[in-house]
Amino acid sequence: MPLTTVASGRVYDWSHAVGRGAARGTGFNYPQTMCLGKGGIVYTANRGNENNFGMHVNKVKLGGPGEEELLADFFDYGEGDGHSTWPFGVATDDQDHVYVSDEWENSISVFDTSGKFLRKWGTTGSGDGELLRPAGLAVEKNGNVIVVDSGNNRLQVFSPEGKFVGKCGKAGSGPGEFNQPWGITLDKDGNIFVADWKNHRVQKLTNQGKPLMSIGEYGAIEAPEDSYAVTYMGPFIAAASEKAGNPSPGKFNHPTDVAVDSDGDIYVADWGNHRVCVFDSAGNPITSLVGDAHVLSKWGQQSIDANPDMMKARRRVKSLEPQWRFCFPTAVDFDPETDTVIVADSQRNRLQIYKKVRDYTDFQANL
Amino acid sequence: MAHQDDIALMAHLMRRAGFGAGRDELEARVAKGYEATVEELLHREAQPPVDAYTLLRYQPASLLPGGQPPMGNLNWMYYLVNTKRPLEEKTALFWHHVFATGNSKVDNYDQLLEQIEIFRQRGLGSYRDLLLEMAKNPTMIFWLDNNQNHGKAVNENWGRELLELFSLGAGNYTEKDVRESSRAFTGWTFETKIPRAPYGRFPWKFEYRPEDHDDGEKEFLGHKGRFNGEDIINIIVQQPACARFICRHLYNFFVADEAQVPAWPIEQPRDPKAIDTLAGTFKDSNFDMTATLRVLFNSDFFKNARFQHMKSPAEVVVGTLRLVGGHELPRPGYGELSMNTAYMGQDLLNPPSVEGWHTGKEWINSGSLMARVNFCAEKIGDPALPGVRAIINRLKAKGTLSPDQLVDGCLDLLGPVEIGADTRKELAAQATAWGQTSWDNDSNAKLADLHTSQMLQLIVATREYQFA
Repeated sequence: MPLTTVASGRVYDWSHAVGRGAARGTGFNYPQTMCLGKGGIVYTANRGNENNFGMHVNKVKLGGPGEEELLADFFDYGEGDGHSTWPFGVATDDQDHVYVSDEWENSISVFDTSGKFLRKWGTTGSGDGELLRPAGLAVEKNGNVIVVDSGNNRLQVFSPEGKFVGKCGKAGSGPGEFNQPWGITLDKDGNIFVADWKNHRVQKLTNQGKPLMSIGEYGAIEAPEDSYAVTYMGPFIAAASEKAGNPSPGKFNHPTDVAVDSDGDIYVADWGNHRVCVFDSAGNPITSLVGDAHVLSKWGQQSIDANPDMMKARRRVKSLEPQWRFCFPTAVDFDPETDTVIVADSQRNRLQIYKKVRDYTDFQANL
Repeated sequence: MAHQDDIALMAHLMRRAGFGAGRDELEARVAKGYEATVEELLHREAQPPVDAYTLLRYQPASLLPGGQPPMGNLNWMYYLVNTKRPLEEKTALFWHHVFATGNSKVDNYDQLLEQIEIFRQRGLGSYRDLLLEMAKNPTMIFWLDNNQNHGKAVNENWGRELLELFSLGAGNYTEKDVRESSRAFTGWTFETKIPRAPYGRFPWKFEYRPEDHDDGEKEFLGHKGRFNGEDIINIIVQQPACARFICRHLYNFFVADEAQVPAWPIEQPRDPKAIDTLAGTFKDSNFDMTATLRVLFNSDFFKNARFQHMKSPAEVVVGTLRLVGGHELPRPGYGELSMNTAYMGQDLLNPPSVEGWHTGKEWINSGSLMARVNFCAEKIGDPALPGVRAIINRLKAKGTLSPDQLVDGCLDLLGPVEIGADTRKELAAQATAWGQTSWDNDSNAKLADLHTSQMLQLIVATREYQFA
């Protein structure tokens, strides 16, 4: 696959990767969701594993290649305020307060930008204001917090202090209905986009919850003959990349997140198909990104430098292509300040960053 | 109303071809018929696969879990508990017993899970094809050092175990056959895989290196030629000893406990005619596991073998979890839950050696027995779990129960479980001490729930309950 993707007047240029597999510190541990703060800050909610480490939120300042910096770790595993069991959604408000959902504890915790615990709310149930497996979060311009109340197949709106404000949605596959939704984002007009995970679609709603548009339907990747399965659930690396088995545009396999850029283009983390699908604002498919991490991240390179055996092994590998590709990307965001698409590449415990190039001029075709 | 004998027979089938079934399922299956149920079990594609995406949503670390438990164990336990294709998963467990490959050396639970997935996909197909797949399986190649088996420096580990443990059994080949088999598999190795740092695990990929293969003439089990590995497998599967060896494994796993594998050269099968029958089908069907298992499950020797098999720890844990219900989602603590088989002596994905586990009575020692009883008693003693509640509700529907009726009802709905007179006397004594069991008012109902769950706990603690 090319490192620069040109399609329908858009150009996406792979920039760099950030992170490595790490339970704490300079890396990620199965990021479930991600959000952007001010000034190129990214907050990532890491799920961790059953040895009860790796659960946490980390705060990383991005930048150009090699400029990333870990600023804070918080909401790690444990009981009591400020600790988590299953961190899931993360969002920030205009004061840089960080809201995080815990889908096992059925709670929303709030931290300041340094990771200091401020408050939390949440009781288990399906009544107004009650939560069941809360997933993605988004903060409206007025400060209210929209919670993807996944187990109840609805969205709920809370005040910043956790007071119930409103709700929309119910279980089902019709407009405005949900089946275990995951991620959420708002566009500049406050419209709501939800990754309707088990319905294999993205829904666009008004800020009052009225359905406006639905994108996508089910379509799963199939293993091409003689391909290399990076996991038994894909991705699959075929000898010829164009035969990589990607389903048609507009087909999703358990989409997990959605982002909208400043032009209105829509990005969907097509988790089970190991790609990010790009649509125009009307929902027409533009292209797909499949991951292109051909250069190691800064922290990844440090791992290799510290372990000569790993480097020896890497130098004997016939093809590193499987390492370039997304493996169950869970989250996508667009940073309008830098025109970058940021993808949380969950099974690879890293972010992959693409630049949306505005001033791209084509090269001579006869080079 | 299903006949009690039909229920008992169906329960036997489901314990062996799966991991047991609750009474509602047993009654539904009896209504369909025994042979129809066998066909449904054999045709796994008729039922949906396990929803692996739900597992990954809640436990993403279970896909590429690396070398440390319990995330790999959690992954398989989720499949075992949730499968609607019980024979597919049971057959995967069978092949894991035979092609025993362990994390103690492989240090990659993800590769072991990939092997289990092969067993799911191919375990009910051709044994010959599965054997060839195992010969090319990088996890097996690493486990048995075939990556160190070179044209000019032969390593016999794979070549020997292929004959001794995977196909023929000791006594049915010579040391020269081991050497020649090993020579034929020189050059069968795997590519260097992308190492775990910095982005997690990547799988191996099989690689055949012709320059490292000994292409010279070989003499193997009476055949001569410039054999490569696939030729060796084609010769092996034609041996009468192969059919008998694999079918004895099937008998031991699905029908009744045999002697341990190392004793097979000197101890006759428990039922030689059954082995003959199975081996005949195995050979006539071109080594087809579905055809062979069809004959097995429909045979009288199978139907008459109730409680002739000591439950393996996997059968104890999975059977209990499926019976009590409430463990469908991979909740926090699922990893620890999945390690219970290890505490009972069966560390799934990590057998003690290439020989696999010793089975039958060797599952039991003072520690493992306590682990079994404690696990089962804890689960079955929780009336909040839906499967336990379902048992209580069925008893409640019968009205007030005498002590004998409570004992009989619990034995029936836990199996039916067959117990000896001494055990029954003990259970009846306890029930008598409690008096009548009645749900006729709130106070009595609370007591009735308690006594019923305690009676269930007593039953799962019996010697008889350890048999399937």
